This record gives sequence, structure tokens and C-alpha cells, in this order.
Amino acid sequence: MTNLPLWFIPLFPLIGTILLGIIAVASSGSKKGPSEGLVGALAVLFPALAFASVVVLSLNMPEEGIRSVLCNWIDLSFLNVNFGFLFDNLSRIMLLFVTGIGSLIALYSIGYMHGDRGFARFFSYINLFLFSMIVLVLSDNLMLTFFGWEGVGLCSYLLIGFWNHDKDNCKAANKAFIVNRVGDIGFLMGMLILIFLGLNVAQSNSILQYDSLLSFLKAAIAGGQIAIIMPALTAAGICFFVGCTGKSAQIPLLTWLPDAMAGPTPVSALIHAATMVTSGVYLLARLSTMFAALPVVLDIITIVGALTAFWAAVSGLFQNDIKKVLAYSTISQLGYMFMAAGVAAFDASIFHVFTHAFFKAALFLGAGAVIHALAGEQDMRKMGGLAKKVPVTAGVMLLAFAAIIGIPGFAGFWSKDLILEKLYMSGPMGPAFYAVGLLTAVITAVYMTRLIIMTFFGEYRGSKESEAHIHEAPACMLIPMVILAAGAVGTGYLWAESLGLNTFEHALAPVVGEAQNAVAHSAAHVNPMMFAALGTLAALVGIVIAYFAFKKVPTATKSTRPEGGKATWTFLFDIIHGWFIGLTNVIAWIVDNCVDKLVQFAQWLVANITLILGDGAASFQVRKVRLQLALSIAGVAALVLVVLLTGGLI
Amino acid sequence: MELQAMYIQILALVLFTIGLVVAIARRNIFFVLMGVELALNAVNLSMVGFAKTLPAELSAAGQIVPLFTIAVAAAEACVGLALVILIFRNRESVDSDSFTNMKG
Repeated sequence: MTNLPLWFIPLFPLIGTILLGIIAVASSGSKKGPSEGLVGALAVLFPALAFASVVVLSLNMPEEGIRSVLCNWIDLSFLNVNFGFLFDNLSRIMLLFVTGIGSLIALYSIGYMHGDRGFARFFSYINLFLFSMIVLVLSDNLMLTFFGWEGVGLCSYLLIGFWNHDKDNCKAANKAFIVNRVGDIGFLMGMLILIFLGLNVAQSNSILQYDSLLSFLKAAIAGGQIAIIMPALTAAGICFFVGCTGKSAQIPLLTWLPDAMAGPTPVSALIHAATMVTSGVYLLARLSTMFAALPVVLDIITIVGALTAFWAAVSGLFQNDIKKVLAYSTISQLGYMFMAAGVAAFDASIFHVFTHAFFKAALFLGAGAVIHALAGEQDMRKMGGLAKKVPVTAGVMLLAFAAIIGIPGFAGFWSKDLILEKLYMSGPMGPAFYAVGLLTAVITAVYMTRLIIMTFFGEYRGSKESEAHIHEAPACMLIPMVILAAGAVGTGYLWAESLGLNTFEHALAPVVGEAQNAVAHSAAHVNPMMFAALGTLAALVGIVIAYFAFKKVPTATKSTRPEGGKATWTFLFDIIHGWFIGLTNVIAWIVDNCVDKLVQFAQWLVANITLILGDGAASFQVRKVRLQLALSIAGVAALVLVVLLTGGLI
Repeated sequence: MELQAMYIQILALVLFTIGLVVAIARRNIFFVLMGVELALNAVNLSMVGFAKTLPAELSAAGQIVPLFTIAVAAAEACVGLALVILIFRNRESVDSDSFTNMKG
């Protein structure tokens, strides 16, 4: 069945989007809304079909991948872009969990969104999101990737602002959209620089295609021209990284992700844990050959990743909203992925993307089940003792919790330790990065333990009447959670170095292996058991600290926002963004009141000169026969005079 | 003494100028038409005058073209007078300055 066309994969969610969109529009007038059973079935069917297509294609994939070109998109003398798809080991792994987890979350959403007025609209957006994400991952050129990149940005806007009767949600959606747009300018600039390089250096008009880019870079390195194009290539690398910081919520463009928790919880699980935010990491891995040749950019990526991981972990400590803790945790884990990419361990980075998708989606869905059980309560200070009341949810959360803090045997242990190991061996600065990573791991364990203690243990701190309503989530929500929890336990064994399992490394080697070998690492070999022991110790220390530090839960206040110094730390980048916005406002004011006025004056001047001249000319065009006659005679006389005086030369 | 060609041209120029001035200066549309006729005839006279300066066998064209011009001018005058009469019926005025647009 290798002849299954690649465009089948994005086609299914697209059909789903259109069908559900039609249902949503058609039913918008009716009082009752569409049948939830029909909408839910369609909403899960199409992502599941896409997942099935990916599985079928995966089974018979040749080693070098499948390439297929649908049609030509842009054909200019300096730029040639196709609607082309590339299905190799990297896109296979990404697609498997994008469509797989996407289908599970669609299933979960049927329960979570039950009774919502925008039921069909929600699933239409979810399908559109999956379509965009598949295009992003499956495309064989940067331009089409950018198309998907913008598509997921649009869908995150639609989904974050899904409950748009609340103004705060709309603001959060706007923020996510605008901050992402800032990053997207970087992506565009990077593509422009590459086109410029293709035009002037490689004489190629298809440089935006990944294969062409790869061969261009190989030729440049082999021909020794790499030093000449280095400045331009470095600039392109930095621009692409700016794009990645926007999508993957890295410093400085990270403020949108915590706000994005305004959307429904399945959205947080799908977009802000499993798929969209990892597209930055995916792009780094996709362009690994380019980044491996740019040591400066790699260093920037590592430093930004380390700062982000540490800063977000500390911010996570201060949050009272259960989803905000997970949001900062996601940013922190993305920081890990960027650190790994920065030391050219692209496979470890993608591996962490993969395991993180499972355990973070499980955590978010668990949090969603808790919120569902408590009828919308998100403040952890009003929870407590839920383990007895919602045992399945608690079990799922505990497994995912064990995975994220790195308890041996769980998925996060394998992927995080791998990253720490690669960090340590990355060169002279390695131990420093390793220390930051390990410290972050301790903090991660602290805030995750705090979340678990505050939510599931101790006494229930909510009101008496709400206690009676607490109930376990329905089966369609529990099944995806249990599957994801199983993933949080099991996916780590795809690459358990110390057990001799490295399926994942082998699978990714054809895509990123060459790039990784191109970057020199220190030859120092350290016992992997040492890393495992230190990683485990970090988790245990974190649990112990959290156990003693958060025995006493503070009483709930009205707002879940952290206060005082904690707020300064948490909203540091919001404050910095605020300065930039203020500065932009000042510039905008100047432009509005000075530059604009100048332009308006010039406009007015030109317009009036034209008017006066025009009026003058029009005054000759009077509708009086005799005057017209006299004027034409005068004109003839003048012409004759000119001809006579110049001797008929002109 | 034979008639000098120059005098014929001067007469034609005088007639043409009178015709033009009448056409421009008079407001009565009939006078405008008459001025135009006068100017046309001045041109005819000028042509015949020039034709007379040529040898007899070449001058025929110069004599015939004015005949055509006269025929065409007569036809034009018919159409012009018909138009003027129609305008007069509609507006009860022959003041050309009051006819400033093409609407009826």
C-alpha cells in the first residue's frame, strides 16, 4: 500500500473542517443546535482517518522517505515553489503523534465540550488546526511550511478566543496572534535571505525546498565557500530562530502562552502542549544541516533555551491556576528542547517533543477533567483531596507527573536525561548548561509536586455544596487520558540508551544524523548511570522540598494572579513587552501627528495645484459656441504665427 | 489693365474677416450662420483667385472645387437652418449664448 498518496493525510481533516463548518453554519439559526452525536462522530472520524493514513504510509516507508509534488505554486525567475510533500522519518514521527494525539483529544473534547453552544464550530476549528499542522509538518519546502505555520497561528487565535463572549478571552487570543506575528516576520526575513542566497550564490530558484537547501549547503561546505556566505546564513538562521521563539514561546516572545490558557482545556492540551508549540523545534530539526553549520546561532539557541527553561520553571512555582502551572511547565520543557537543539542534539530534542506530547497532553487533559469535575474551578487553592473522588483522573495525573519530573522508567526520565547528557558533553560550556538543566529539573519537580499535593491530597477546600457535585469524567474523556498516560509511561522505551534500546535514534539518523556529526563534541565519556542517578536525585529532592514547603496551602483570594515580587517575576516579559508597546505608541504618535501631517500637507498642496491648473484649463472649455469659435481661431492664428516666425521648422 | 491676383486675395481676406467677426460677435444665431456662409464664400473666392494664376489647363481643379464647396455649403445651410428652426420652436429664442448645453 505504498501507493497511498501523501495528500490523503491533510485531505481528511480538511473535509472534516468543511463538513463541520457547514453543520455549524446551518445549525446556527436553530435553537437546539446540531446533534452532538453526529458532530462528535465526524470530528473524531476525520483525524482518525488521517492517523490511519499515516500509519499505513509509515509501515511501508522506504529509508529515504517519500516525496510527492502535487502541482506548481509559484514559478518566478528567482523563485520556484511547489505544493510538495515530504514524508521521511522526521515528519513520520511528528505526524504520528500530531494525528494520533489529535484524534484522542478530539474524542476527549466530545465530553468536555458537551452542551456548549458552539459544539460544531469548535470541532471545525480543531480539524482546521490539524490540517494546518499536517501541512506544516508534511511540506517539502519552507514556503508551504510557512503556510501551515500561519494556519496553526490562525487556529490558535480562533480556539483561544473560542468563548468570545468574554472580553479577556478575546484579548488573550489577540495577544497570541500578535506575538506570533512578530515571530513570523523573522521566518519571512529568513526565507528572503535564503532566496537572496539562492539567487546570487547557488543560481537556484528552488532553494526554499529542503532537499535543494541541503544540497546547496553541502556544495558550499565542500567547495569551501561556506565562509563567504556565513554572514548571510547566520542572519537567516537568527531570523528563523526568531520565528521559532514566537511559535514555541521562548524568550522573549513567550508571554502569549500562559494567556492562551483562556481557551478550552482540550485546546491547551492539543495546541499548547502537543503540537503547535513544538513546530519551532520541528523547524530547527528540519533545518538541522543549516543550523549545524552556524555555531553562533547554536550558542544563541542554547542560551535562550536555558534561560527560558529556568525562568518558566520558577514562574510555574508561583501560579495558583492549575492550567497556568502547566502552561509555564510547557514553556520550561520547550526550553529543554531548544537547549538540546542548541547543542546540535536534534534527535534528543525531537525525542523530548515526542514524549512531552504524551505526558503534557495527559496532564492537561487531567487538569481538564478536574476542572470539569469542579464545574469550572481552576484555582488550586480551592481544590484538594480529589484523589478519592476522581481516582482515574488522579491516577492518570500521577503517571504523567512521574513522567515529567523524570522518575526512572517513565518517558520523561529517558528524554530529559538524554538532553542533560548531551548538554554536559557539548563542549567547554557544557557543564554550565547541564547545571542549569539539572536545577530546572529540581524546580520542575517542586512545582509539579505542589500541583499534585494541592489538587489531589489533603482536605477539600471548596464550598460544601460544590463538594457534592464532584464526579468522575465520562468515558469518552477517560479513554484518551488513559491512553495518553500509557504513552507517558511507555514512549520512553523507544530510546532508552542504558537499556540498549535506540529505535528512535536510528529512525532519525537519516534526517539529522549528518548534521549532528558535523558539530564537534567533547570526547569525554561519562558513565550514563551517573546522569540517571543525578536526574533521579533531582526529582526526589524536588518532591521532598515541595512536600515540606507546601504543607500549608494559602487561603484563596479572588484572583489567581501571583502578587508582589512573584508577579514581577511571572510577568517580567509582559512588562518588557509593555515597554516596547509604549515605545511603539510614542513612535506611532509622532508618525501620526508629525509625519502624517507633512504627508497631508504635501497631498493638499499637490491637490490644490492640480485643481487650480485644472480649473484654468476647464475655463477654456465653456459651452458657448461663439467663444469656442473665437478661441479656436485665436489658436490657429497663434500656430500660424509660430510657424511663420520659426520658418516652419517645427 | 489685368486684374492683379493679389487684389483678389485681399478681397477674400477682407470678406473672410468680416464673416468671422460676424460669426463671433453677433448673438443672433441667423447672423452667425450668415457669417459662416460669408467666410466660406471668401475661401471659394480665394481658391478661384489662385486658380487664375495658373495656366489654363491646370486651373480647372481650382475652378471645380469651389463648385463642390458651394454645393456642400448649401446642404449644410439647409441642415443648419432646420436645426435653428427646431431650436427656436423649443426655446422661442435665437440667442446663441442661451444654448449652452446639448440637452433639449
